[in-house]
Amino acid sequence: MLNIAKLSVSAAGRTLLHEVSFSVAASEMLCVIGESGAGKSTLLKGLMGLMPCRYERFEHRSSAEESAFATTSGLGLPACRYVMQDPLAALNPKRSLGQSICESLYTQKLPAPEQRNRALSALEAVELPVEFYDRLPKEVSLGQAQRACLARALVAEPELIIFDEPLSALDALVQKKIALKMDQLRREIGITYIVVTHDLGFAAAYADRILLLRNGRMETFQDKGDFFANPASAYASDLVGAAQTLGALNRMEAAE
Amino acid sequence: MSMSLSNPNVKQTIPAMPGTWTLMVFALTLGAGMLMTPYDPTQADFLNRLATPSALHWFGTDHLGRDIATRVLYGSFWSLGLSLGVVSIGAAIGTIVGLVAAQNGRWVDMILMRTTDSFFAFPELISAVTIAGLFGPSTMNLVLALIVVSWMKFARLVRSLAISVVQQDYILQARLNGLPAWRVLWQHNLPNILPGVFVLWTNSWSRTILAISGLSFLGFGVQPPNAEWGAMLLDGKAYLLTAPHIMIFPGLAVLFAVLTINLTGDRWRDRLADNI
Repeated sequence: MLNIAKLSVSAAGRTLLHEVSFSVAASEMLCVIGESGAGKSTLLKGLMGLMPCRYERFEHRSSAEESAFATTSGLGLPACRYVMQDPLAALNPKRSLGQSICESLYTQKLPAPEQRNRALSALEAVELPVEFYDRLPKEVSLGQAQRACLARALVAEPELIIFDEPLSALDALVQKKIALKMDQLRREIGITYIVVTHDLGFAAAYADRILLLRNGRMETFQDKGDFFANPASAYASDLVGAAQTLGALNRMEAAE
Repeated sequence: MSMSLSNPNVKQTIPAMPGTWTLMVFALTLGAGMLMTPYDPTQADFLNRLATPSALHWFGTDHLGRDIATRVLYGSFWSLGLSLGVVSIGAAIGTIVGLVAAQNGRWVDMILMRTTDSFFAFPELISAVTIAGLFGPSTMNLVLALIVVSWMKFARLVRSLAISVVQQDYILQARLNGLPAWRVLWQHNLPNILPGVFVLWTNSWSRTILAISGLSFLGFGVQPPNAEWGAMLLDGKAYLLTAPHIMIFPGLAVLFAVLTINLTGDRWRDRLADNI
């Protein structure tokens, strides 16, 4: 579905992300992990088309492109939608959830009633009641607002949704519910996900592939099973070890 | 915003606080009065000079025998209408400057904001007096002078609001969703900026009423025989001891107008506080 070789992202003449290669197949989930400053957001901005990118090979579905030099506008993936970290920042406080969701259909030039119907079924898909169409972001909970953001991504029927830490603003129970919903939708509709997260537990539970970044470079890119069973680098294995220790601690606390 | 003002319980304890309705009743009264009064605001009647308030002349007459009630009514056109125009033009200029500064950043921002700062350096009334003094006292010069000193606050406010709005993810989402720039500005930036501008606008309106009346009182603004509240105060100054009603009624008009607009602005601010 998406196959990128040696992608570099730069800003103001400085390369912030060096030669990252990864691929993700249709309806798979790729988790991008790494500590802060590792280049996760830079990668996202490159994919969004907000920062100039340079790549050796860029395959999107069947179309392939080879280019050695910068595309100034970045990649700007077609048929792609985004879900941000903080739903309240991602939704205009002056516009109803329905209006925000319909905005995702802007380039499709659908008639208004059709837009509304699609938005309503998107609300249904994320298990929000239809009356939320007319609610303002401040009138709903954070979890519900994030569901609305998910609906906004879904309504355009994208092939790919890119998530930027979609759960980290939410509390644990809501995190779990939305993670399950995300996973279920991906399987049912067959959308590809790229999820930036620092939650290794989330990656362990739902990802198919894991891209680990460190200091603006690619550390490892492995299938999930391999990554946890057989980390390809010392840093990756430290990370997995630390996560497992934490997991063990959690289990001990749960047992007590 | 302070907690007590946005607390709904506190609002209920001030039931007499004027709001939009008070302002509309105020405007209607003035309009109806202008239609109903039998007098001409500039028609002198020398047989009836300095008459005290009576059934025929509710607010009395001035030193030329003109009906003060009628002059107060017509004066609202100058004091309220002119100031409304001045403030709106100033707000429009300031909003555009602020938006341009915020959108372009870098040196455009620097030049515009330093210009704003240098305009701020001159005290409001003094600059207006200077401009009126240089170009001669007339209503047009008064308007120009007040516009020149009124736009900076709007520019600064809009710039800071616009910068904070531009950084919001919903703007990014809109761009990623393929909305053209004007649509992003219209649907996302402006609705989140204008409530703040609106509050400042009401606030500046009442200040401008005071400025126009003040300058007219000093002789720089609206010229006789036009009935402007400040100019009427000037007319009555010589008769303060013998016929105080000449000054009292235009003075009360200024007081009520400024008070009503300020309190209405406060109420709007409270209502909009959650949205800013």
